[in-house]
Amino acid sequence: MRSNNFSYLVKTGVAGVWKNFIMSFASFSILLVSLLQVSVTVLFIMNANIIMGNIEDTNQIAVFVEDLENEPEEEHQKKVDHIRDVLMSNENLTEVTYMSKEEAAEKFTQAMSDEYAELINIVPGGNPMPETFMARVTDLKTIRYTVSSIKSIDGVEQVNAPYDFANALVNIRNAASFIVIAMLCVLIVVSVVVISNTIRASVFARRHEITIMKYVGATNGFIKLPFFVEGCFVGIVAGASSWGLSWFIYDSVFSLFTDNLTLWQMFGFFNLIPFDNIKWLLLAANCAAGALLGVLGTMISMNKYLKV
Amino acid sequence: MVNLKNVTVHYSSGIDALVDVNLHISEGEFVFIVGESGAGKSTLMKLMLRELTPSSGRVFVNNRNIGALKGNKIAMFRRTIGVVFQDFRLIEDYTVYENVAFALRVADSSSKTIRQRVPYVLNLVGLGSKAKSKVRELSGGEKQRVAIARALANDPGLLIVDEPTGNLDPKRSYEIVGLLKEINRCGTTVVMITHEHDLVQYFGGRIINLEKGVITFDETIGGSEDYYEE
Repeated sequence: MRSNNFSYLVKTGVAGVWKNFIMSFASFSILLVSLLQVSVTVLFIMNANIIMGNIEDTNQIAVFVEDLENEPEEEHQKKVDHIRDVLMSNENLTEVTYMSKEEAAEKFTQAMSDEYAELINIVPGGNPMPETFMARVTDLKTIRYTVSSIKSIDGVEQVNAPYDFANALVNIRNAASFIVIAMLCVLIVVSVVVISNTIRASVFARRHEITIMKYVGATNGFIKLPFFVEGCFVGIVAGASSWGLSWFIYDSVFSLFTDNLTLWQMFGFFNLIPFDNIKWLLLAANCAAGALLGVLGTMISMNKYLKV
Repeated sequence: MVNLKNVTVHYSSGIDALVDVNLHISEGEFVFIVGESGAGKSTLMKLMLRELTPSSGRVFVNNRNIGALKGNKIAMFRRTIGVVFQDFRLIEDYTVYENVAFALRVADSSSKTIRQRVPYVLNLVGLGSKAKSKVRELSGGEKQRVAIARALANDPGLLIVDEPTGNLDPKRSYEIVGLLKEINRCGTTVVMITHEHDLVQYFGGRIINLEKGVITFDETIGGSEDYYEE
């Protein structure tokens, strides 16, 4: 096809969007919601994977020693030594270090901002921080067994393993992915149906012109191209808008985790992906997905309503 | 040019629109096809445009069995014929120029060809000065001239004209048929479907009469053009 005629058909297709503005806007809106949902989910999953990686890289557990008020010092020291021995003899643990109550309190005040650090001084009964053993887990797969064996040691009050948090995150990620995928399937069907109806309205509005085209020798491609342009145009605009909104939402959420690093870093919320690093990829993906859905809706409409 | 061999068209409603029709139209002829409503005139036209395929028999246009054409070959075939309708079938929002250019665009003509060809055919139908007018601003006669110009845009060898005077007053009707006669004299084969016997008798030529799907009359008669001019 010659370029002058191709550009004429493209212009006709874009003009079709304005001629059927209400239907085009409906298609745009439903596509925007679908694509935005995909964008946000993809960003969430990408970051969840990074957070889980961070947690797995840290793979450190904290073993808190029981602190009984009336316990004699000698007895208590025996318990601490026993815990140390058991931890050091565990094949799944390395780098076992001990932290006294004072050291634990100091670490807490260093980690927290000044206003929170003061909290430790106003707790009744003095320093609330327990004596703690820190240890690195060699094999994360067996961490559950390791943690339960440590819990059974006499004198151990609690074992904190970040692996539990990672598990929770995995569960949230899987549940969110499942829900989003299910909703997405519905939204994709709705998008395609709405686009298909938009194109149907456009075919109806231009039925007179289409009849003339047929009689003067237009090929199927010539007749159909403007409608594909129309569907594609709506899809690309919705994709670009979804990308813009994703950027806004992501930046707002991202700032939550970067403004107050200390608290979130404890849970592995660092090294999150800045939007700038993926913005072009995400724009291309959004526009391509929008265009694809637009073309799909148009195809259905063409096969159903445009017999040429 | 046009050849129908034992053509029958049977509609699913049970009606036989054409029954075992044999017809030959030579290159350069001007043929009137007449008949009452439901005689099969429109079916004949649809066959020649390859809008329909016969239930039996074969239709040849330019020695091609057009019933065998599929897909884009039908489009390519239609570019070799021109068609004019009673209701003009113009795009009202377009200008006269754009309506004629539209047929050339559809045939994938270059911008240069469009720029050269459109003024030529508009002058041919006497609308050179109306190129920039919107179609909706034109009279019925002028609209039909635009439709003829559009049909001629791709320089067709065959012009099929369906009731071109149905929406026009008598004076404009004679002008339009006169114009078609002129086009025919330049070498284009013209097949005109009409039920206006006065026009047919006035201009004369080959007359084919259809009745209930059968050709009942196929003769060439002399016209009486002088009568109108007086």
